Amino acid sequence: MPDRLRGARMAFARAAVAALLPLAVATAAAQARPYKAPRTADGKPDLSGIWQALGTAHWDIEGHAARPGPVVALGAAGAVPAGLGVVEGGEIPYQPWAAAKKKENAGNWLAADPEIKCYLPGVPRATYMPFPFQIVQTPKSILMTYEFASASRVIHMDKPGFESPFDTWMGHSRGRWKGETLVVDVTSFNDQTWFDRAGNFHSDALHVVELYTAIRPDALLYEVTIEDPKVFTRPWKMSMPLYRRLEKNVQLLEFKCVEFVEELMYGPLRKKLAN
Amino acid sequence: MQNKVSVLVAGAGLLLLLVAPPALAHHAFAAEFDANRPVRLKGAVTRMEWINPHAWIHIDVKKPDGKVEKWMIEGGTPNTLLRRGFTKHSLLPGTEIVVDGYQAKDGSMKANGRDLTLPDGRKVFMGSSGTGAPRDGKDPTEVKK
Amino acid sequence: MSQLVLTAVIVMFVLAPAPIAGQASSARAKTPAARGAWTPPRTTWGAPDLQGIWDFATITPMERPKELAGKEVLTAEEAAEFEKRTLEQRNPDRRDGGSQADVGRAYNQFWWDYGTKVIGTKRTSLVVDPPDGRIPPLTPQARQRAETRAEVLRRPAAGPEDRNLWERCILGGNAGPPMVSGAYNNNVQIFQTPEQVVILNEMINDARIVPLDGRPHLPPSLRQWRGDSRGRWDGDTLVVDTTNFRDPTNFRGSRATLHVVERFTRVAADTLLYEFTVDDPQTWTRPWSAAMPMTKTEAPIFEYACHEGNYGMVNILTGARAGEKAAEEAAKTGSR
Repeated sequence: MPDRLRGARMAFARAAVAALLPLAVATAAAQARPYKAPRTADGKPDLSGIWQALGTAHWDIEGHAARPGPVVALGAAGAVPAGLGVVEGGEIPYQPWAAAKKKENAGNWLAADPEIKCYLPGVPRATYMPFPFQIVQTPKSILMTYEFASASRVIHMDKPGFESPFDTWMGHSRGRWKGETLVVDVTSFNDQTWFDRAGNFHSDALHVVELYTAIRPDALLYEVTIEDPKVFTRPWKMSMPLYRRLEKNVQLLEFKCVEFVEELMYGPLRKKLAN
Repeated sequence: MQNKVSVLVAGAGLLLLLVAPPALAHHAFAAEFDANRPVRLKGAVTRMEWINPHAWIHIDVKKPDGKVEKWMIEGGTPNTLLRRGFTKHSLLPGTEIVVDGYQAKDGSMKANGRDLTLPDGRKVFMGSSGTGAPRDGKDPTEVKK
Repeated sequence: MSQLVLTAVIVMFVLAPAPIAGQASSARAKTPAARGAWTPPRTTWGAPDLQGIWDFATITPMERPKELAGKEVLTAEEAAEFEKRTLEQRNPDRRDGGSQADVGRAYNQFWWDYGTKVIGTKRTSLVVDPPDGRIPPLTPQARQRAETRAEVLRRPAAGPEDRNLWERCILGGNAGPPMVSGAYNNNVQIFQTPEQVVILNEMINDARIVPLDGRPHLPPSLRQWRGDSRGRWDGDTLVVDTTNFRDPTNFRGSRATLHVVERFTRVAADTLLYEFTVDDPQTWTRPWSAAMPMTKTEAPIFEYACHEGNYGMVNILTGARAGEKAAEEAAKTGSR
């Protein structure tokens, strides 16, 4: 029997291929060609710019429902918004003693959180504070400067053997490129900083590895591995996007918060005015 | 030539006024420490805080009656020492040091470390390890790698 | 050293703003002959390369000593003598002069880093304009402010605001702007991209971002401790213009009307010529300018977390309160 539908079937097939081909190509293209940032003069992905995290990692890096804050007078403005959490796997793997310490920190937030005293936030907390930060990229050194408390740190790109002679708030950063990703190894922390306002903390054995990858012209993917054998049972990861600040003539402004905390910290030591 | 030198010599006193660094006035050490309460302490280092704006050396001072007093001794910026090759391991706990200084105005067991020496009279952070250079082994308070 | 001398030091350095002078042109004329002949290295996009870590410790004073009036430049022997004398006079390991002076010298030599050399041109002052190397006179109001400030600093502190910005750990004493040589940590690192230059001062870990894209300054209502800086190239010289200061500033008692113009020129492989002109009609009777060459260094810049370790502020305040309490108690005992 002659196949009178053969022509129609062929036409249909051709039409289907014609319709689906662009999609197939696009999908393949997306899989074959992830976003590549424009290059700097020395041929590296250009991550320069002013970036800021959204979300509520600065309140609590673990997933959390909204909850009241400790200062009644602030009402809704002082309450803690909900967050899906940025910790992979959901929970931070504390050792038992450290889990208790975290709880103690959380209950003692106002007195114990170094952010409240305008102390340097450390890494990675500096990245996701609710303030912008700027990446200034040069071949041998990448400067990251944060609006909060004018914190800053230099990532040494050309000195992999350079060890820090002392412990610092912002750690000691050494970086290298791995394809599209800036890999930063941070060591030599003191034990004074927290990861968020929820009391999540570390010891002076903290070791942080950060990955910065441009995923779109105006967004980076920030991935962090935290390792601290004194505090956690194993290394753990957090990740979040960082968004480019797009305002015209945007610049970091000053948030030198020392003067905002002097009354808090030194008020009781002031001279009492005569009655 | 003679005149120029003598001008310089005569001017040296005034020069000190003019070249004395802002730091001489910046910290108002006289506001923190009491020139009328000199102290001389000998004790073992328990730890050193390599911090700014001033490093602090904690020492245990054994009194004649056997009691131990815990003193905090203020130094300068550690960054100067770090640039000369010293590290947080450079003043080991247990090291005996002698502190000539002035006690805090509030009467607490704090003093400025006006002169820090080892028991043999050498200054504690004398010389340098050289920035990045191998340690020369001359400073016994340094950790040998 | 007597109390009077110590007070004079405080007055000189903490409180003495200076009149305003014109452009710093004489420094350029006097810099080494190599200046015109030498070509600075360039970044990959063709700008003069100012990058690196620069050390601005120097023994040359800001102002020409009165005894050297009229003498603009020292000979090599005079410079060596000057350095030797200054280091002897300044040596913190000397213990003479009484206990007030002793406390004032504070610590052993090994903590300090004032610099041991005069600047390469052997000029007798960092000030280049006015030509006499002296900061111009203060306005009458500025003189009054200086006296008031001296009084506040002399007496026991009522609160942290009585102390200087660097004792409060808000701004570093040598960072300005403009930058001036101080007792230690005279270090600055410069970063360059096509869009901006960033000036990172070790004290107090402050990164001053200077856009080069011609954008306007912040609006007048937005004022900052370190002002607001904008940059442009003038040939091979980076010119940085800073306005929008808060009141008071970090520089010699000047006011929010301070206007700073800095010029950065790489004049040799290891020398960055730093010049500044300051202008504040509320402080100095005319603008004035200085030139302070900086030397390239491989020594790293270290973190200077100041506020985090500021036991000193607590001690200053507890000391003041203890003094008041003692005086109260003495008065009570006396009146019984």
